[in-house]
Amino acid sequence: MTGVSTRGEVAARKRLGSLTWLEVEVPGWPGAAPGQFAMLRSVSSGCFLGRPLSVSDQEGERVFFLIAPVGQGTRELCRLGVGDQVEVVGPLGKGFDLVAMGWPAGATGRLLLVGGGVGVAPFPLLLRSAAVLAGVAHGWSGEVLVLVGFRDQEQAEGARPVEEAVRALRNAGIGTRLEVATEDGSRGRRGTVVDLLAEEIAPQDLLAVCGPPAMSEAVARLASSVAGSRAWFSLETFMACGVGACHGCVVVQRDGSMVRVCREGPVFPWEALYGDAGAKGGGPGC
Amino acid sequence: MLVGAATAVPAGGLAVELGPLHLEHPLINASGTMELLELADTLGDEILSRPPIAAYVPKTVTLAPRSGNSPPRILETAAGVINAIGLPNEGAAVFIKERLPRLLELPCPVIVSIGGFSPSEYEILARRLRETLEERFSTEGAAGEGGMTPSWVSKVGLELNISCPNVHTGCMSIGADSSETREVVAAVRSVWPGLLIAKLTPNVTDVTEVGRAAVEAGADALAAVNTFKGLVIDRKTLRPYLGNVTGGLSGPAIKALALRVVYELYEAVAVPLIGMGGVAEVQDVLDFMSCGARVVAVGSAGLRDPLLGSRLAQALSHELEVRGLSLGQLVGRAHRTDS
Repeated sequence: MTGVSTRGEVAARKRLGSLTWLEVEVPGWPGAAPGQFAMLRSVSSGCFLGRPLSVSDQEGERVFFLIAPVGQGTRELCRLGVGDQVEVVGPLGKGFDLVAMGWPAGATGRLLLVGGGVGVAPFPLLLRSAAVLAGVAHGWSGEVLVLVGFRDQEQAEGARPVEEAVRALRNAGIGTRLEVATEDGSRGRRGTVVDLLAEEIAPQDLLAVCGPPAMSEAVARLASSVAGSRAWFSLETFMACGVGACHGCVVVQRDGSMVRVCREGPVFPWEALYGDAGAKGGGPGC
Repeated sequence: MLVGAATAVPAGGLAVELGPLHLEHPLINASGTMELLELADTLGDEILSRPPIAAYVPKTVTLAPRSGNSPPRILETAAGVINAIGLPNEGAAVFIKERLPRLLELPCPVIVSIGGFSPSEYEILARRLRETLEERFSTEGAAGEGGMTPSWVSKVGLELNISCPNVHTGCMSIGADSSETREVVAAVRSVWPGLLIAKLTPNVTDVTEVGRAAVEAGADALAAVNTFKGLVIDRKTLRPYLGNVTGGLSGPAIKALALRVVYELYEAVAVPLIGMGGVAEVQDVLDFMSCGARVVAVGSAGLRDPLLGSRLAQALSHELEVRGLSLGQLVGRAHRTDS
């Protein structure tokens, strides 16, 4: 299945607090793997380049994105209305490869999704994929644990698609739990997603992480102190092309080599990124 | 899958000759803005059998592998992009062994872009390429089916990147100096019988001086422009954003500057010009050709739309028809006072 470089059309837009849920009909969309992204640009954009956005979910050729109005490009996308045209290139990059991560891990293994802010964007599709794999694993009785943190209640509205996905998993008989934290305590636990994780993390957990750099670094530190736990991080950098052409979005890996977030990533295993040197350049985040 | 791709460019009327290379239309890519082989992984192999450009210019290759500059390397600016990538590449040996054979299978000519830090580096690179091509094509000829042996000269050209602003020695410092330019072009000319293009930097007082030096030393064509040296400030730290501090500015922001350079070169030299700098729409193609470009390259705008070249070629065909112009009448039109 190969990707597309084409024009899509906005089919629906919902405000989720300070975030926006955009549904785009993309002709020829071949389906994304969880954690993959697309470059999106409004055809009437005042920006020159597209913006990389995680695929939140998809139904056939309808592709869903969760967008935070961070800069001009994302603000334009948040303002689009039904029928507006969008340039779309995607799906792109290497996402969360659950099978390669070892999921489902044993009969009672746990998968932890750890997201901060708009970093929860890839989780609905990731949850559905995790469910499919867990469902076909004979005798599996493990748990999917979703830990999400937001600034406040308004941003936490962005968790709604994740809540729906969690409900769907539960209805399918897959043990799934969602824990929410907000920094101001206006929703769920007062604190950060790292606080939630500190209480929950256990040996052998598999972690899929997406959030701002400080969060990802704290999660990396925590995960490295728990025996047998393994973590994969989705990174975000400024991207120009998203397809590996410009070599602009590189990060420095732990071994000093530089890799393109758009092409070799955006998802990298813990050991590639973090260590004494840490990842430099584009910060982790989504 | 090239959904939304322009349909095949109409044959005839758009073909141009660039030295020994036959181009089906005048749109190519600027080096460093398109990885055609990797794009095939994303958009499918169809892009290799039907490339969106009439000749493919891969990313600049240097003798030794380079990892490039420290990040951050790229940022969007008002109507453009600034980058300080620093020529990361796999080096000549890997390029020749692994990438070049695949590029030679493309249905369009390939213009290999080389960069270096001394005249001898450019010369060694050019000679290695020539020897590789001679060997490959003589083998094919011997094992051929009795037909004409294809001449690699009509398939592969060479572009000298003497204009990258993001490496600290060689490259742009060569292209900013007419005597060094003359030396590099002459060194390569002595070992390279095929199409030889010098890609010029606009970061000079008088581009025609360097352009004339390149042509006098044996360049068959000139490409202009590479990026304009610039700088962006990180809005949070109020310090230079790019790891390299300075970078090269491209995109529509530089179009008027680039047009002036192409216009001046057309008046100064008689060789074909490859114009580029902010090409995003068909009007930009008309503008560059009118200023004197025989071939036009898509650069930064191709980053957001990898299929832009074929779309522009199709739109150019339509524009020529509407305006009742041939390509020959269009190229250099801005310099003529006749009809």
